[in-house]
Amino acid sequence: MKLLSNLLGPRQAFDGGLFLRDYKAITARRPIEWLHADGPLHIPLSVRADFPVTPVVDVGDRVIRGQRLTIPDTQAGLPVHSPISGHIARFESVWSPFDGAVPGIVIDPDGRRDAVPPVQSWADESVIGQLVEHGVVCPMSRQPLHTIIREAVRRGVSELIVNAMETEPYLTADLRTLVEDAGRVVDTTSELADALSAVRAIIAAPFRHRHVMKRLLSDAAGRMVEVAVLPDPFPQCHPHLLIKSILNREVEPGGSPLDLGVVVLPLSTVRQAAEALLDDRAVTHVLLTVAGDAVDRPGTYRVPIGMPIRRIAESIGLTGPVRQAVIGGPLTGIPMRDENAVVTIDMTAVLLFTTTEQVNPVDCIRCGWCIEDCPIGLSPPDLVRLESRATVNSIEMSHLRACIDCGLCTHVCPSQLPLSQTIKSLRDRFDGGEADRETGRR
Amino acid sequence: MSQPNWIAGPQSLLGAPPYRLAGNTHNHILRAWLGAASIIAACGVVIFGLRVLEVLAGAVGGALLTNAVVALVTGKKITDQALRATLTGVLLALTLPALTSWPIALFGAVVSILIGQCLFQGWLQPALVGRIVTQAAFPGFLSVGGSMLLSPVLTPGHMIFGDIEDTERIVDYRGWLESQESTTHDAYLIQKPVRTLRQFAQNQVKPNADLRYTPLLRDLLPPWSDTVFGVVPGGIGETCTVMLVIVGLYLIHRGYLRWQLPLTVIASAALTVSILPVEVANDYRWFPALEVEQGRAVGLAYVLFHLTTGQIMLTAFLLAGDVVASPMRAHGQIIYAAFIGALSIFMRLYGVLEGECYWSVLIMNLFVGTINRQLRRPVLGMEPPSDD
Ligand code: SF4
Ligand code: SF4
Repeated sequence: MKLLSNLLGPRQAFDGGLFLRDYKAITARRPIEWLHADGPLHIPLSVRADFPVTPVVDVGDRVIRGQRLTIPDTQAGLPVHSPISGHIARFESVWSPFDGAVPGIVIDPDGRRDAVPPVQSWADESVIGQLVEHGVVCPMSRQPLHTIIREAVRRGVSELIVNAMETEPYLTADLRTLVEDAGRVVDTTSELADALSAVRAIIAAPFRHRHVMKRLLSDAAGRMVEVAVLPDPFPQCHPHLLIKSILNREVEPGGSPLDLGVVVLPLSTVRQAAEALLDDRAVTHVLLTVAGDAVDRPGTYRVPIGMPIRRIAESIGLTGPVRQAVIGGPLTGIPMRDENAVVTIDMTAVLLFTTTEQVNPVDCIRCGWCIEDCPIGLSPPDLVRLESRATVNSIEMSHLRACIDCGLCTHVCPSQLPLSQTIKSLRDRFDGGEADRETGRR
Repeated sequence: MSQPNWIAGPQSLLGAPPYRLAGNTHNHILRAWLGAASIIAACGVVIFGLRVLEVLAGAVGGALLTNAVVALVTGKKITDQALRATLTGVLLALTLPALTSWPIALFGAVVSILIGQCLFQGWLQPALVGRIVTQAAFPGFLSVGGSMLLSPVLTPGHMIFGDIEDTERIVDYRGWLESQESTTHDAYLIQKPVRTLRQFAQNQVKPNADLRYTPLLRDLLPPWSDTVFGVVPGGIGETCTVMLVIVGLYLIHRGYLRWQLPLTVIASAALTVSILPVEVANDYRWFPALEVEQGRAVGLAYVLFHLTTGQIMLTAFLLAGDVVASPMRAHGQIIYAAFIGALSIFMRLYGVLEGECYWSVLIMNLFVGTINRQLRRPVLGMEPPSDD
């Protein structure tokens, strides 16, 4: 029995989901590389368009790596730091894929490696203080980490789950982090668990990469950090399904993990927090998986914030013109939207493909694939049928809310119907636009 | 350093998730099924001769023609449903005997498309609608020389090119290879094994002293291997068990057929035939599968004959699982398949209807909506978590 579970892995704890072809073979083996700024960086002044900030530098100033560029005007906001040493060229608007055109700052690098020295005063600073000081954000939910922690502490937390599942195809940033930096992940997780006063801290990791998991397990041995090795059908990486798998508890439709006293943080957040807490360094670079069939040298890269995506593509090399540019995973990411988009703090992946999916929808053939694969247990064709209705009853509404927008139903549908997209727009339509549910998905 | 046009166009920057699709489209499914059905049809050509092509042409031609007319009337594109119509035509042909004349096949195809595909779209398996209506409209087309019992199959020396109509009634049939010397004609005319099994269940086979099953297995049925390789009389696609299993496995491998469905049909048929009684010498004997005569497990042989003869395999692998009219979930398909298997055997043993498997599929098609409704999945977060 033991042997069998060693070979086959743990049992899947939720119905549905799908083991996708993962396209990680190349990127998973390449070590993380630095991608240095070889031209001006276009840095957004604020981590999110709705946080007001005040710039503390002026045109012509010389800045060094880690130096503050802006300070926040509000409690919730975060400062922004310079990723390189150079000169402030001008203030101009830059394009963030998440917020559109936002005010920004352009820094010309001067080729030197000057950096703000780490301040060794961590003893008298609180974790929260350090997180604010160094500007740590939770990518995808786009919340500053300190506001997440404050909110969580206020409502009471018993478990912290660090999400290293990364079940979407192509993405390898989390996997490479576990390969190269497992010890730091464990350290940071236990510090964050302390800050949250959580009873348990759990790192959820995919069984598919069991050699990496063995290392992680030995790193976590004897610490107050547990490692939950899970099978990785997509979308096991979603917080609701992690909670179902690890704690066997279910988040209500439209609810958030906090309702159950659980905080789920993506590994990308922990990565940023590690720099702030362990190295006492500001978050100025992000770890990006750059992959897709248009990329010549796919891999995991450490990229300065503010680097135009176009320049990433140029320095890594393309195999052909890009016909689909995605920020994030291939099933849940967002479109790049503008050619001049730059790297922002809340990115984890850039995928460039040489093809767009050509769809030619036909009527539903009732194959039931979407129903079998939906991780939540919904029936997408029934929900899509609500499109012709003016109102929905409460059960239908909670079904719409329960959908986690994983996109799996559209992915598998042989009739190529836009199921998940329709469900999302229906939810917005009937919900009066309950926007930006906090998901914490990576 | 600059790469002009690194982005192909403004469209490249737009879109909504998911950006990558699994890539199994409706057309892929239809093509795979069509391929599978065509392989079985090819086996039909080998076993029953080139005459089969006439039936195929009638059925497929009729289906495409009707499809074209329907498309013209409703103003849709002809190509939309052409693949589907072709598949329906081939599936219909597989259920017909090789001696069907082409106008009858054409009639069946027209009915399939008009009633099965247009009127009851997605409710009934269209090919079977055509088959059943044809059978009702032309009761005689199943009979050969005025008898419903007999049917021809080509002799070993005359496969493919033999004339299926040049037959000779073989009374003392000892099997496909073994009976070669007993005829100079192109085809044997022998009793359909399904018919023999039905007669047996209805006490029309005389027992030989104590032996009840041995006379049936030894004297009346062809060897079991014949039914596996398909060299027995029957519909074009009904006989070749081994190829049906192979194409079925192919469809399962491609993910277009859930393995639960054929397995359940076969298992349920096997179970039913092992339990339901046969009437032997005015005595109802339950559990025929357990019968042993002269130290041989004749009961098991009897069950195996039931599974490999007739339409069970064709139904299990090609007709029941077609996505048009089967339940959406695997659980539902198991229930659906279990009833199809059991009903088929029940009707074969005690029924009077010809084409028992086809009837059971159509009957179960009526319940697909109910099955789908009853088997909703629990929605995460809306029902109390199961404790396991
Ligand atoms: S997008 Fe929603 S409905 Fe579709 S599979 Fe995911 S959870 Fe289910
Ligand atoms: S996957 Fe598409 S075609 Fe199949 S049941 Fe769902 S909506 Fe219908």
